[in-house]
Amino acid sequence: MKRETDYGHPIKPVYTPNDIENFDYDRDLGDPGSYPYTRGYHPDGYRSRIWTQRMTAGLGPSRQTNEVLKRYREMGQRGGMLVICDRTNAMPIDPDHPIGRREAGILGWPGASLLEFEELMDGIPLTGQSITLLGSCPMSSIRLAYIVALAEKRGVNLNEVHGSVTEYPFCNIFGQTDAQPLDLNLKLWLDSSEYIVRNKIRMRSGILSQHFQESGGGNAQALAVEMAMLGELCSLLVNERGLDFDDVALLPYELVSVGSRFFEEIAKIRALRRMWAKMAKEKFKAKKEKSCQLLIAVHTSGRTMTYQQPLNNIARCAIQTLAGAVAGCTAIDNACLDNAHAEPSPLAARMSLNTQHIVADETGVTDVVDPLAGSYFVEYLTNKVEEEAYKILKKIENLGGMTAAVQKGYIQDMLKESAQEKHREVERGDRLIVGVNELVISPEEDFQLPIQEVKAGDSEAIARRMEEWKKTRNMPLIQEKMAQLYSDAKKEDRFNLMPSIIEAVKAYATAGEIIGVIRKARGLSYDPLETIDCPFDLE
Amino acid sequence: MGKRQGIKVLISVIGLDGHSTGAEIVCRILMDAGMEVVYLGIYQTPEMIVQAAIQEDVDVIGISSHASNYDQIVELLNLLKKNNLDDICVICGGTIPKHHMQKLKKEGVSEIFPPQTTSESIVNFILQTQKTAAGG
Repeated sequence: MKRETDYGHPIKPVYTPNDIENFDYDRDLGDPGSYPYTRGYHPDGYRSRIWTQRMTAGLGPSRQTNEVLKRYREMGQRGGMLVICDRTNAMPIDPDHPIGRREAGILGWPGASLLEFEELMDGIPLTGQSITLLGSCPMSSIRLAYIVALAEKRGVNLNEVHGSVTEYPFCNIFGQTDAQPLDLNLKLWLDSSEYIVRNKIRMRSGILSQHFQESGGGNAQALAVEMAMLGELCSLLVNERGLDFDDVALLPYELVSVGSRFFEEIAKIRALRRMWAKMAKEKFKAKKEKSCQLLIAVHTSGRTMTYQQPLNNIARCAIQTLAGAVAGCTAIDNACLDNAHAEPSPLAARMSLNTQHIVADETGVTDVVDPLAGSYFVEYLTNKVEEEAYKILKKIENLGGMTAAVQKGYIQDMLKESAQEKHREVERGDRLIVGVNELVISPEEDFQLPIQEVKAGDSEAIARRMEEWKKTRNMPLIQEKMAQLYSDAKKEDRFNLMPSIIEAVKAYATAGEIIGVIRKARGLSYDPLETIDCPFDLE
Repeated sequence: MGKRQGIKVLISVIGLDGHSTGAEIVCRILMDAGMEVVYLGIYQTPEMIVQAAIQEDVDVIGISSHASNYDQIVELLNLLKKNNLDDICVICGGTIPKHHMQKLKKEGVSEIFPPQTTSESIVNFILQTQKTAAGG
């Protein structure tokens, strides 16, 4: 078995003061609540606020996900809700698209219109908990428009809604695939971000290393990619959109993937807090302390959830949740024991939420902030992963930054190589996984999981409903809003499309229609899959 | 059409499934084992896969599935039969629940490799079936 960090650095049998020779408490750590925030942002840690304990929802029709959200509340979901979109919505195409209709409601929520969002949120308040919708980048501006429109309809003050419904433009290359080109995703992300910042909306935008890492990236790489994305996207908002960095700094949140290498995962999160604080202060000349505090949520790693002996995943999930808690994150959502089989069953969801409550209420982890600070090993690991990440970050910057590194294929090649190597490590037995290459049992002996899934008929029903509903809309109004959107989308990239997208969403134009019209204005085909034609008269 | 010496495998992801890491890893495994690999990538319909299989004259089709869109794999099998291509061996891999494995096998999928399958078992299965096919 290999005794190396996840990113290949050798690990010694024991660590002593010699391993952190130049350690300076105030410079390197600081008390919790003090720069560089290695130890976290709150002097009292979880005593002042427990992490948001949430569970991913999203499967089948919107009303079904609405029921699941209500059940999660009863099952112990606290502080926020998290919904993931389906495959059609990730693209986005509409559920009634000839290709979309086979997969509507699969792997997520088919959030293609304001109607779907109204059904999703039926009986659920917009305030008092964080509203998080995850999916892909091109839906960012449309999901933000859902929030704006529903807050207005319900008479809720928009500035009291918090959470995150927008997502970074690079997820496309990390397995969160949509069907849009990078320049369009970047434009839509900048538009939604600028709108959030200028209107002082308390919505964050996910700039996430989770997808990169879940696709096979290593810990140091994940930190480097995260910093490269944060550096570049914040620069664009400051330089191209003319925003103040101290306002921009309230926008990003990071979702970290946490695996089972307990100490390394804690070190990674501590290093990230320090790296962002330094970037905010040194690169962006942050004037406010708050700007140096990157909001970090944890997703326990889906890729570590094994198909074989799935009950073992409960143990993995517990270790990872404890790591996230020790590291001092803001929110946790767990991959479930059935992650390698299907969408979370009620049993798996309950186990995941219970795991969070067991960690929070039974272990004492919430009593003390950053309990591993000062451990020779953990401080060494924190320094090391930061050092390795800076080396990779430097390479990315030398290539011209994140977008340039993506265009040159550097990030994709790095990720592919890392994923291959992780696979080889398991094959060689360098890394042991119980039930996979150690203590293996026959499939006949294995535990049979209850499976939660969408049937083909369910997808077709979602599609038919949308088809029928589309005919009942005020078409002249939609036509008018789409013509406006089209003419705005023809203007320079810095012209913000959010106002016209909000108008289109309020008129119940769908995601496929809105993105289609923007695509057409940019000289692309209306339908990214080139199957259907544009139904609007735009010229 | 003269038969090639080596084995030619088409690897694809089907429908709107965007999970490509597994498919790419399998491509590398098969290439390392000396097979010729055609990788179609994501967003492939059953029709597109059959078209490519005809054009490339492949021996094996491998579908990587992580999005419970199994009906499209069945569609692919039916389309192959319709085109008299049922001599092409279809294999699948990914997060496929056990009851779907049984169904897919009944429909004509030769073998299904769940997550954490070894490279060796995939390579050996293909070598074995292709040897039988060539011998028969």
